[in-house]
Amino acid sequence: MKNVATPLGLGGLGSHSEADESGGQFFDWRVVAIALFVFAGYFLGAKIGFALTFRPHPVSVLWPPNSILLAALLLTPVRIWWVILLAAFPAHLAAQLQSNVPPTMILCWFMSNTCEALIGAGCVRYLIDRPVRFDRLRNVGIFCFFAAFLGPFLSSFLDAAFVVINHWGQDSYWQVWRIRFTSNVLAALTLVPFIVSWSAEGIAWLGKIRRSRFLEAGLLLLGLLSVNIIAFYKFAPTADSALLYLPLPFLIWAAVRFGSRGASAAICTLAFLAIWSAGHGYGPFSTRSAEENALSIQMFLIVMSVPLMLLAAVIEERSEGETTLREREERISLAAESADLAFWTINFERKESWMSDNGRAIFSFGPEEPLSRELFLSRVHPEDRNAVDEAIESARASSQTFEFEYRLLRPDGETRWLISRGRYGYNDLGGVRELIGVAIDVTAQVKANLQLRLQREEMAHMSRVSSMGELTASLAHELNQPLTAIASNAAAGKRFLAQSSPDLPMFEELLADVAADARRASDIIHGIHHFVRKSEGTRRPVNLNEVVREVLRLLHSDLLGRGTAVETQLAPNLPSVDANPVQLQQVLLNLLTNSLEAMQSTAAAKRRVVISTTCEANSSVTVSVRDYGGGLPKDDLDKIFTHFYSTKPTGMGMGLTIVRSIVESHGGELAAENADEGARFSFRLPVAAENEPGEVA
Amino acid sequence: MSGATELVCVVDDDQSVRRALRRLFKSDGYAAEAFASAEDYLAREIFEGPICLVLDVRMPGLKGPGLQEALEKRGACEQIVFLTGHGDVPTATRAMKKGAVDFLTKPFDDEELILAVKRALERAEEQLRRHGERREARRRIDKLTPREFEVFRFVIRGLLNKQIAAELHTAEKTIKVHRGRVMQKLGVTSVADLVRISQRAGVSPARNPA
Repeated sequence: MKNVATPLGLGGLGSHSEADESGGQFFDWRVVAIALFVFAGYFLGAKIGFALTFRPHPVSVLWPPNSILLAALLLTPVRIWWVILLAAFPAHLAAQLQSNVPPTMILCWFMSNTCEALIGAGCVRYLIDRPVRFDRLRNVGIFCFFAAFLGPFLSSFLDAAFVVINHWGQDSYWQVWRIRFTSNVLAALTLVPFIVSWSAEGIAWLGKIRRSRFLEAGLLLLGLLSVNIIAFYKFAPTADSALLYLPLPFLIWAAVRFGSRGASAAICTLAFLAIWSAGHGYGPFSTRSAEENALSIQMFLIVMSVPLMLLAAVIEERSEGETTLREREERISLAAESADLAFWTINFERKESWMSDNGRAIFSFGPEEPLSRELFLSRVHPEDRNAVDEAIESARASSQTFEFEYRLLRPDGETRWLISRGRYGYNDLGGVRELIGVAIDVTAQVKANLQLRLQREEMAHMSRVSSMGELTASLAHELNQPLTAIASNAAAGKRFLAQSSPDLPMFEELLADVAADARRASDIIHGIHHFVRKSEGTRRPVNLNEVVREVLRLLHSDLLGRGTAVETQLAPNLPSVDANPVQLQQVLLNLLTNSLEAMQSTAAAKRRVVISTTCEANSSVTVSVRDYGGGLPKDDLDKIFTHFYSTKPTGMGMGLTIVRSIVESHGGELAAENADEGARFSFRLPVAAENEPGEVA
Repeated sequence: MSGATELVCVVDDDQSVRRALRRLFKSDGYAAEAFASAEDYLAREIFEGPICLVLDVRMPGLKGPGLQEALEKRGACEQIVFLTGHGDVPTATRAMKKGAVDFLTKPFDDEELILAVKRALERAEEQLRRHGERREARRRIDKLTPREFEVFRFVIRGLLNKQIAAELHTAEKTIKVHRGRVMQKLGVTSVADLVRISQRAGVSPARNPA
C-alpha cells in the first residue's frame, strides 16, 4: 500500500499541511484533533444510524459510522490509521452500550465495520495515486466499486456470521447479510463523497466564492427541500410513483453547477429526508413491510446517487480541461506576443480561421477578417509572391512542413521580413482538413545583419581607399613618375655625352629636371603624413575596448577561415581616448592582419592572437596584439617602421608606416618587440582630457 | 638609325616624364614630339612617315587602349609601345592583342625602351610600305574599263584566252586585245605580276562558271 500524502483538514480543520513531513509528529495537535473528530463523528453517526433503523431488524437503513470511518481513512495518511481506529473504538462502545447490545456483539460489529473501512480505503488509496477527490470519472468508478461495493460485500459475510453466532435478532444469515450490505453501500455512496469533498479543501474556499453562487446554492437547497417534502412527505403513499422523479432536476442542477460537492450534498439531503419520511410512515416507501420498504428506498437512493456522482465528475473534468486549454492558449498568446509570433489556423472543413492578435497586427489584417491563402499572398511582397505560393503548394502536395523567408508589403507601405512555418492537416479520408502555421517577424535581425554587412563593406572600402590598398597603389604610381623621369633623363644624358658635341644648356636643363623630380619623390613620401592628417575626420571620445570588439566582429569570418584563436584581455573601465574611431580600427585591423600573416607557417593548433588593453595610471591606454608566429628579425627592430621596410617578400612596406602615422597623429606611440614565441605590436594613446576616471565612453 | 623621316611621339600627362622621354629619344637621334593627352596627339596633322607612339596606360582623357582603337579607325599605321606604372595583366593582354608592339613597366631600362621603339618604327615602316603598294595597285586597277577588269579577273584565275572568250561569249581575238591593254595599264609583263598586283589590291579572281 502506498503511503500517499493526504491533507489532514478533516471536518473543517482547514489545514492543507501534509502529515508525513517528518516522523515525529504522532502527538501533533492535528492528530489529536483528528482523533477527536473521528470519535465524535462515529458516535454521532451511530446515533443517526439508530434513528434511521426500521424496527425490528438490528441493521439500520443507512449506517453512517462505517462511512465516517472510511472517509477518515481516505483523508489521512496511512501512518496514522491506527489512531483513527483507536479513536473510533470508544465511540463504538459508547454508542452500542447505550442500546443494550451484548459486549461480544459490540466487539464483533466493530471488527466487521473496521474490516469494511480498511478494505475500501486500502483499495482506493492504492489505486488513486494522489489525494482522493471525486472530480475524476476514474476516481468515482474506483470508489464505487472498491469502497462502496467490495468493502460492504466482503465485510457483510463476517458481520452476518457474528450476528448468527451471537444469536442476535431473529433473522437468517442471508437476511442479515443482505440488509447490512445494502445499508452500508448506501451509506458509503451518500456520506463518504460528502465528507471527503467538503472537508478535504477546508473552508477557505468559501471566502473566494461570489455572492451570486451563494444565492444560487440557497435557491437550489430550497428547491431540493421543497420537492423532497412534496415527494416523500406531503403526498400519500399511494400517490403516483412518478413523483419520485421530482428531485431529479435539482440533483442534476447541483451536479452540473456545483460539481462533486454540490452533488454529494444534494444526495445526502435526499437520502436523509427520504429515509426519515419512510421511517415515520410517510411517502411512497411506507406502504409495505419494514424490510421491503428499506430495500426499495436503498435501491432508489443507490440508483440515484451513482450516476449523479459520475455526472458531477464528468462535469468537473470537462471544466478543468477547459481551464487547462484556456491556460495553454494564454501561454501560447503570451509566447506569441513576447516573441512577436503570429499563430494562425485555417480549418477548411468548418470554414473557420483564427490568428493571434499580434499576428493580425503584423499582417495588418482586420480583427475578424477571415484568413485565406489569397489574403495572405496579397500581403506578400510582389517579388516574393510566386516563390511563397509555390512553397505552400508543394507543402500541400507533399504533406511536409513548409518554411520560407519572405518580405511582407503592408498596406501602409512598410516592408517587413518574416519567416513562416506551417503544415497541412489531413482528415481520415486524406483530404485537407486544416492549415496551421506560425510566422515570426525577423525584420530587426535582417536589418541588423544588413547593417553589419554594410558596415563591413564600408569598412573594407575605407580601408582600401584610404589606407592599405589604393593608397599604396597610388603612391607607387606617384613615385613611379619622378623615378621614370630621373632614369630617362640620366639615360639621355649618358647618350648625349657619348656624342661629339654635348649641348651644355640642354644638359643644365636636364640636371635641373632630375633635381626637381628627386624633390618631388621625397615630397610624395612626406605626403603620407599629410594624407593621414587630411583623412583624420572628426575626433570623439573612443573606448578602445569597443574598437577591439568592432574589429573582431569585422574579422570574424577571416579568423574562422584561418583557424586562428583570438583571446582578448580587455581592461574593465578603460578610460576613453580622443580619436577617429575608423582610423583606430584601421590601425588594429592592420596589426591583426600582420599577425595573421605572420602565423601562416605556424602549426594550426598554435595559431593564436592575444589582444589586450591596459591603462597606465589613467594617463594612457595601450592596445597590444601578440601573435605566435615567427617573430621579427632581430637586427631590423629599429627599421620596422621606416618607409618601405617589409618583412614580407611581397609586401610594399607601407602598412606599418601608415599605422605609425595614424598613431602619431593621435599623439601616441607605436612599438614592436619580440615575445617568447612570435611578436607583439602595441600602440599607446593618451587618455582624453575630459575623461573622468573609470568612465566608460 | 632611320633619320628624320621617322617620328617618336610621347603621350604622357606627367610633364617631367614627357620631357625626359623626349630627351631620351632625341639623344638616340630620333625626331621626337611630346603630347599631354591622346586628344592633343590626334589633333596633330597626320605624319606620312613611320610613327612610334609611346603611351602611358594611365592618363586622363582617352586612355591608351581607347586611343589605339581611335587610331585604327583613322587608318594610320602608328605602332604603339605602352608604358604603365604597374603592369596589370588584363590591360596588357588587351593592348598586345590589339597589336601593341610592347608593354613596359615604369621604371624601365632605357635600352629596352629604345629597342622597343626601334622595333615599332620598323614595323610601322613595313606597314607603311604595304599600304603604299596597295594604294598604287588600286590606283592602277582603277584605270581599267569594266570589260578589262572582267578579263583581268579571269586571267588571274588562270584561264586561257580561248576559255575566257567562251565565258564572255566573244571572240578569242578580242580577249587577246583586252589582255594586252590590262598588262599595259597595270605596267606588268607577266601573269605572275598580274596575280601579285591583284593580291596587293585585294582583287579576287572571277567566280567559277556556273
